[in-house]
Amino acid sequence: MRKRGTPPNRALRARRPPEISPPVRSLPLAFSLSSDRSMASISGTVTATSVRPRLTSRAPVVKGFSGLKSVSFSIQRNGFPSVRLQAAPRQRRFQVSCAQAKPETVQKVCEIVKKQLALSDDTPVSGESKFSTLGADSLDTVEIVMGLEEAFGISVEEESAQSITTVQDAADLIEKLVEAKSS
Amino acid sequence: MSWLLRRNMLPLHSNSLARRPFASPLPLPPASLPSPRETHIWYVVPDELKDASLLYQYMELLSPCERQSVLRMNGERLQKGALLARALVRTTLARYTDGRLSPKSFKFQKNRFGKPEVEWDKYDLWAPPPLQFNISHTSTMIACGVTLDLPIGIDIEEKQRKTSNNILSLAHRYFSPVEVAYLKTLADPECRQSEFIRLWTLKEAYVKALGRGFSGTPFKDFTIRLEASNSKQVTGELKSDAPSIVVEAVDDPGILMNRWQFALFELNNSHYTAVCMERDVKNPADGENNSLKLEVWRTLPFVEDECVTETDAVKNIIR
Repeated sequence: MRKRGTPPNRALRARRPPEISPPVRSLPLAFSLSSDRSMASISGTVTATSVRPRLTSRAPVVKGFSGLKSVSFSIQRNGFPSVRLQAAPRQRRFQVSCAQAKPETVQKVCEIVKKQLALSDDTPVSGESKFSTLGADSLDTVEIVMGLEEAFGISVEEESAQSITTVQDAADLIEKLVEAKSS
Repeated sequence: MSWLLRRNMLPLHSNSLARRPFASPLPLPPASLPSPRETHIWYVVPDELKDASLLYQYMELLSPCERQSVLRMNGERLQKGALLARALVRTTLARYTDGRLSPKSFKFQKNRFGKPEVEWDKYDLWAPPPLQFNISHTSTMIACGVTLDLPIGIDIEEKQRKTSNNILSLAHRYFSPVEVAYLKTLADPECRQSEFIRLWTLKEAYVKALGRGFSGTPFKDFTIRLEASNSKQVTGELKSDAPSIVVEAVDDPGILMNRWQFALFELNNSHYTAVCMERDVKNPADGENNSLKLEVWRTLPFVEDECVTETDAVKNIIR
């Protein structure tokens, strides 16, 4: 599965030209998301349509956002683009970044976010989760920031708060502030 | 599937739809352009959508990029909301083009601060109306405000919304001193709660109208309050009897930012709604009431439109 926020990879089929964008006709699949997100499709009210998803059993295919086998480009560390087969991959990210936050911090942030947004326990929330895609509006975001301040005993400035878009961003910022506070 | 013809309702030819599952939707009834002091508001209630085939129709209207954004949302409910929001914007704008532009044909861009706006194509024999829009949503309603060539911001919040944090803590952190002082005067916690939410929607609407984002217009830097009636404002105009909503910079109290006018009201008995619109200085009112005019429609695009302006769906209006 590709990382959110990046443009879709040009998918390759073994013998066919690349697909530019997910075919519209794959809509019935599109409403049921990847298995690792365990989303329910719009069930019950959807009647069978005459649309067939464009899948063949012969070539490796892209199944839209279902997270199944996909063929994708990725830039290897030596800088040469290469094609790799990935099964439900977590795309390797290249970040010029500082150290990432500890898993426990990420976990705590997830809990606070889930509580604020009243998400069910089985809703998958991880470091990659964006607040906007979890359904947080601006009031939720400020409440989450205040919840984090209280839980970690820190104070978050407005400018820093604006730069937080994912759970990971929040966790990284928290650890930075906690460290600055104790040093 | 029998669709009853109701007043103001778009007749739906169910037979033709059943035969062609992905038929192009019926044309939207055209709407007259907003006048210079008007905001048009179109809102949709997601729970009213019971027919899943409509979702496919709406999906057809979106750009590939928008479709991907919809599918990125976490869960079916949020996806449906995101889809409806895009469908609402596209169908609403299309109504004002006299049938010349389809909802699907609109393109959008962001201004340099990230505020979404229409990217108009150039046409040889027709100038598209310079529409500006803004949307807001909650899980139970999505609203789109449209003006003719005037910056607009709209924000809606459920009346019943409860905050996790204490109201005064939130206010101390994010509101201006004048606003905090006002909230402190309210002893009843429920009253304080609802006033907080209403003030929040007003501040959000203002920030969205300015289009500079939350960080470009920090909540703490401006005050929104009621100005007493019959006071002369900076422009020298006499206001009508009712108190009006005004905005001023915290650093410059007493200098009202007259460029902006507001409306605060309740929509569908469920939501506080705030609208902020730039005042039209090209067409100043000659002595009469200069306040913001509203026209409101409840819609389920391609199914039903209902004008609710003079009904109970729009009440307790403060301008």
